[in-house]
Amino acid sequence: MSTAVKTQKLTMVQAITDAMATMMREHDNVLVLGEDVGRNGGVFRATDGLQAEFGEKRVIDTPLAESGIIGTSIGLAMNGFRPIAEMQFFGFIYPAFNQIMTHASRIRSRTLGHFTVPMVIRAPFGAGVRAPEIHSDSVEALFTHMPGIKVVVPSNAYDAKGLLIASIEDSDPVLFLEPMRCYRSHKLEVPEEKYTVEIGKGARLQEGEDITLIAWGAMVDVVKKAAKEIEQAEGITCDVLDLRTLYPLDRDLISESVQKTGRGVIVHEAPGTGGVGNDVVSLINDTSFLHLRSPIKRVTGHDTPVPMFAIEDHYLPDAERVKQAIVDTVRF
Amino acid sequence: MIEVKLHDIGEGITEGEITHFHVSPGDVVKIDQPLVEVQTDKVTAELPSPVAGTVKEIKASEGEVVTVGTTIILIEKEGSVPTQDKMPEEPLQEKQEKPVPAAQPERSMSAVQSMTRLTRRVLAAPYTRKIARENNVDIEQINGSGPAGRVTEEDVYQFINGGQEQVEKKQEGSSETPVSITKAAVETKEIPFKGRRKQIAQKMTQSLYTIPHVSHFDEVDLTNLLDLKKSLKTADPDGSKGMNVSLAAFFVKALQLALRDYPIFNAKLDEENEVIRLEGEVNMGIATDADDGLIVPVVKNVEQKSISTINSEMKELINKAKTNKLKPSEMKGGTFTISNVGPLGSTGATPIINHPEVGLMAFHKTKKMPVVINDEIVIRSIMNVSMTFDHRVADGATAVAFTNRFMHYIENPAAMTLELI
Repeated sequence: MSTAVKTQKLTMVQAITDAMATMMREHDNVLVLGEDVGRNGGVFRATDGLQAEFGEKRVIDTPLAESGIIGTSIGLAMNGFRPIAEMQFFGFIYPAFNQIMTHASRIRSRTLGHFTVPMVIRAPFGAGVRAPEIHSDSVEALFTHMPGIKVVVPSNAYDAKGLLIASIEDSDPVLFLEPMRCYRSHKLEVPEEKYTVEIGKGARLQEGEDITLIAWGAMVDVVKKAAKEIEQAEGITCDVLDLRTLYPLDRDLISESVQKTGRGVIVHEAPGTGGVGNDVVSLINDTSFLHLRSPIKRVTGHDTPVPMFAIEDHYLPDAERVKQAIVDTVRF
Repeated sequence: MIEVKLHDIGEGITEGEITHFHVSPGDVVKIDQPLVEVQTDKVTAELPSPVAGTVKEIKASEGEVVTVGTTIILIEKEGSVPTQDKMPEEPLQEKQEKPVPAAQPERSMSAVQSMTRLTRRVLAAPYTRKIARENNVDIEQINGSGPAGRVTEEDVYQFINGGQEQVEKKQEGSSETPVSITKAAVETKEIPFKGRRKQIAQKMTQSLYTIPHVSHFDEVDLTNLLDLKKSLKTADPDGSKGMNVSLAAFFVKALQLALRDYPIFNAKLDEENEVIRLEGEVNMGIATDADDGLIVPVVKNVEQKSISTINSEMKELINKAKTNKLKPSEMKGGTFTISNVGPLGSTGATPIINHPEVGLMAFHKTKKMPVVINDEIVIRSIMNVSMTFDHRVADGATAVAFTNRFMHYIENPAAMTLELI
């Protein structure tokens, strides 16, 4: 017997709004704070309508002060609230970095578990939307290196709602990165009711035999396109993984897939040096070395700041680069 | 300064004779270069240089027997600063021409070569190695067909299915047209010629080159001795009284008695001092076929021992020889040697003397044969013996007389008892 689940077709940004509204309706202690999140509904309209529904005391417009937003959220979280802090762009998070690094991430260990910081930091991130300098940075690796904070990156509307709800419910700080390119790139049927997607679990989007493709955020679509084209052109079938969580990594999913295919390509738009892809390679090394038929390849952004929009596409990995990496790896 | 000492190169070796120095003072040596050859009771070994440097002093001489722990050679390590008082007073330019610096590139070259040899790097992906491992295939045996000679999964599977073909190609290591000969025909095996084998070779060569060997053969009637042995056994069926004695123990005793009468065969020739030294005691070497090759333990002072004592000591020594447990002292001091090849099946031989002894007797297979005794044909147990002697020391007539005396005791075991102490 199956129960009909009521769904609605939503873009990713709508699904994110829906997640916050769902949790705010259910829990009075869930708050939203950030620059222009109230009356304006956020720079990407992610908080559109929330202030109207929940009032100024729960959807708070803050001054242009990221450190203050995060510091305030930490205090609220330690005192029984579940704040959702919005960074207008991920590239603006640096002023708040100290608050995150020195407080949010370590209060649990500093107080020997007496206090936790159940807050979510939402931040639109990534290139490909023709944003100006600093607005397109993909510096997730700065935060995966920070013990005590989880890093989550949805790539579609369904995951976005489920992961955001799980993040709000999590008793530790979660950095929730929203790929701007995915905000409105497609719509998915999203359940109206509350549901969660488990943090720390990746998703296998496609089954294949020859190679494992690993990506997150906006690169998932790039990888899916490459996988489709390479199968048509070369008959190479790909196991496509969307990691969804960058810390902690889904060790089991990655190892199981790589052990099946014996090959892997990791795709991310952040610069290669120090990127999360390196951690994935290390994980594969640790768990699956003897299964490797060829070296794991990475397709990444370049070791430069994301350039101005005229040459932005040269910076971002595209399906062609990914396909070349697949061929190089399979034909190694 | 590095001291090269004689170390225990075998099991429990206490001393060794320096047979040859490969270097002289002033020589520049590389690491692992052989410095000196030392012969012990078990092996002839070369002591390699532990360091690269210059031979400063040789502290022993060829022929000298040195004990373990004795410093044999002093080597000044390459690159070490000589002490002030020993600093050579040559002009700088001349010093630069000294061979020490010149040896450096050579040394590093050989180090590189030996490293390459020791760790042949096979190019193969981890998964390929996994397949090889799971199929018990040595990946180094596989010829890689991939880029830069990489071993591919297909190569491994082909190797597993295709048998040895790949190995040959690999070992040949050349790009010449392969010759279509079956593997068995082209396979060459190499056995290292060193250790026990090399020592045996050296001893045999030394013996045969220095001693003019003469061998003569005879037949000895063992019937009476076999009867005696049988009756002893009947008297002691379970062997509890130690009366089950091997024929070889009787041979040893009979030889000792014969040697008492013909001591020239229980002697050593000292050419240097121009003297033939007749040995007082009879120490009987027992040529024994062990896994690693011929080895000769020695039963000492058989002139003071009963046949049953000889028997038990001989058994113990042979057992030790076969299990490689002989002590050096148990292989030394022989004065005469026997070789009991009969149980293996030979009917004649020209044995080589165990240098520096004078004689050696080999006992061959015992066969029941028709023999004429008192103009009647009877069946007797007959064994061939081969007696080899050093013709520099003794002559044929003496050797025959000696052999006859031995045969007399064997054929008349009762007479032997009269001679026993």
